[in-house]
Amino acid sequence: MTRLEKIFKQTSAKKKILVTYTVAGDPSLKTSKKILDDLVSSGADILEIGVPFSDPMSEGPVIQKAHERALKKNIEFKDILNICKQIRKKNSSVPIVLMGYMNSFLSLKNKLAKELFLAGVDGVIVVDLPYDESKSFFENLRQEDIDLIRLISPTTDSKRLKQMLASSSGYLYYVSLKGITGAELKNFDEVKKKVKKIKSLTHLPVVVGFGIKDTKTAKKMASFSDGIVVGTKIIDFIENKSSKRISSFTKSLKKAIN
Amino acid sequence: MKSKSKINYTFPDENGRFGEFGGKYVSETLITALEELEKIYSKVKNDKSFQEEVIKDLNDFVGRPSPLYFAERWTEKLGGAKIYLKREDLNHTGAHKINNTVGQVLLAKKMGKKRVIAETGAGQHGVATATVAARHGLECIVFMGEEDIERQSLNVYRMKLLGAKVCSVDSGTKTLKDAMNEAMRDWVTNVEDTHYIIGSVAGPHPYPEIVRDFNSIVGKELKLQSKKEFGKYPDMIVACVGGGSNAMGIFYPFIKDIKTKLVGVEAGGSGVKSGKHAAPLSDGKVGVLHGMKTYLMQDKNGQILPTHSVSAGLDYPGVGPEHAYLRDIGRVEYQSATDQQALKSFHELTRTEGIMPALETSHALAYVNKIAPKLSKSKIIVINLSGRGDKDMFTVAKEDGMTL
Repeated sequence: MTRLEKIFKQTSAKKKILVTYTVAGDPSLKTSKKILDDLVSSGADILEIGVPFSDPMSEGPVIQKAHERALKKNIEFKDILNICKQIRKKNSSVPIVLMGYMNSFLSLKNKLAKELFLAGVDGVIVVDLPYDESKSFFENLRQEDIDLIRLISPTTDSKRLKQMLASSSGYLYYVSLKGITGAELKNFDEVKKKVKKIKSLTHLPVVVGFGIKDTKTAKKMASFSDGIVVGTKIIDFIENKSSKRISSFTKSLKKAIN
Repeated sequence: MKSKSKINYTFPDENGRFGEFGGKYVSETLITALEELEKIYSKVKNDKSFQEEVIKDLNDFVGRPSPLYFAERWTEKLGGAKIYLKREDLNHTGAHKINNTVGQVLLAKKMGKKRVIAETGAGQHGVATATVAARHGLECIVFMGEEDIERQSLNVYRMKLLGAKVCSVDSGTKTLKDAMNEAMRDWVTNVEDTHYIIGSVAGPHPYPEIVRDFNSIVGKELKLQSKKEFGKYPDMIVACVGGGSNAMGIFYPFIKDIKTKLVGVEAGGSGVKSGKHAAPLSDGKVGVLHGMKTYLMQDKNGQILPTHSVSAGLDYPGVGPEHAYLRDIGRVEYQSATDQQALKSFHELTRTEGIMPALETSHALAYVNKIAPKLSKSKIIVINLSGRGDKDMFTVAKEDGMTL
């Protein structure tokens, strides 16, 4: 059983999964590593670690700046893999998922899957790699049992959804809104309807992300899904140099969804 | 045995690819919009009434066909091949960019979109989009890098006069690529009522095909004009390449006719060896950006590198995927010209022919300046004179040490 399968096996109607997103190297290599440790100890179930990219097209202003801060520190892919290794040394169970853009993953060429495996990475989310373009990438990752987490959006229709589900693993990430990270989430009922629809078609867990910034929204979103992803709000703390508050915020999220 | 004068060429394929290049590398949310665009485009591509509507606008609104002009004094001066200019600078709004926007705005209307967005570098595509939006009464937002807003202030004001909202982009390198990122962000947010009018043969499928097709009126006209003028096709066609829309427009109808040599000229900035340039075909690696797989200027970690060019319109780290393919199969030769060579040619054409070219176009002129004297007088070179240089007055004056 993979680490992701194990963690989702623990979910129940009352216990939901908390996924956090931070950018590797933001605000520095050392601090971002410390933040990841804090996230785990305060209740994060899955760590999504952003791979900083020069052109983060799907990100709102807050996460864009996080990418820029990390790049200013000259963070390279090998540094990110090192962070993963260090986390893995201390913690053998928390799933690690790298989230980024295709060009970053391409830079590792055919060594990608092996390197990810050696670093203890469990899954990959590639924002600009839709299902249609992902066949060989997916197969390469699967050789090392690494999951390619699919993003499903409000505009994904049923026909396409069924095709995607046929080659999905790990979990599914439902993007709650049409827009960029950190945008305003308005239509709860629509999200609920769509998540229910996805769940009726698959046994894979479905987490909801984009626009979840407070415990109230987190609770609501978790009520009909398997978990939630929070990114922008955590990075807000980093931007405002109040990383110390991340732990208590994470604890409050965890409490809200369980 | 008679040598082959034609090759087969049918790209993009059904996956939106030119060989390994192209594709649709976008977030899931945009896939539906791209599929809708693909569907509507494949329908109207061969629809006579739609094509007639486009042609009518190209004739009556843009002022086509654009003349093929013999640059006699410049030819004499260089003392080699005969040089002709395909006068896209004479189009309404002053560049080839309007050929594409005239077509895409009609696609937007077909899809029932009320709002159009665009990215712009030099401002020519922004102006061309604002112009067709004004004509059709659509809301128009143009994204432009902060640095470009500064060096192309005339075009910024033109867009505003036309009723467009110009959004300054201050992320990343504050130029064309960042404007494109921001346009993508807007599109993903407003995908239902908005059509993104991409201005180059770049971006995800089907944009490289659509923008090429709308611009290929240039090459089609040239075929007729050159047959009439010299009884044959040109021996060489030269065009500047940033994203590559003017080049694709003039090259495409000639791709199968291999007797015509095709040359694309990239922005060499301070020189390709200096690293300060915008020439991914000369000095880039294959990667994925803005929805396409193509040659990119990037470092070993896949980070996109800052580009440098005196011309805002060529200041882009990628290039249309079809150019990447044409480079690899050797059908088009890609060269580069430096800022200084382009500026020199800008002045030369202005003084010799009384035609003030855009700085982008000046890169193509710089290559011809080098190659024409080496060719025999019986050879014919056609340059796509893609735009006029009025917008570049401030930049040229600054380079010459003057303030206006």
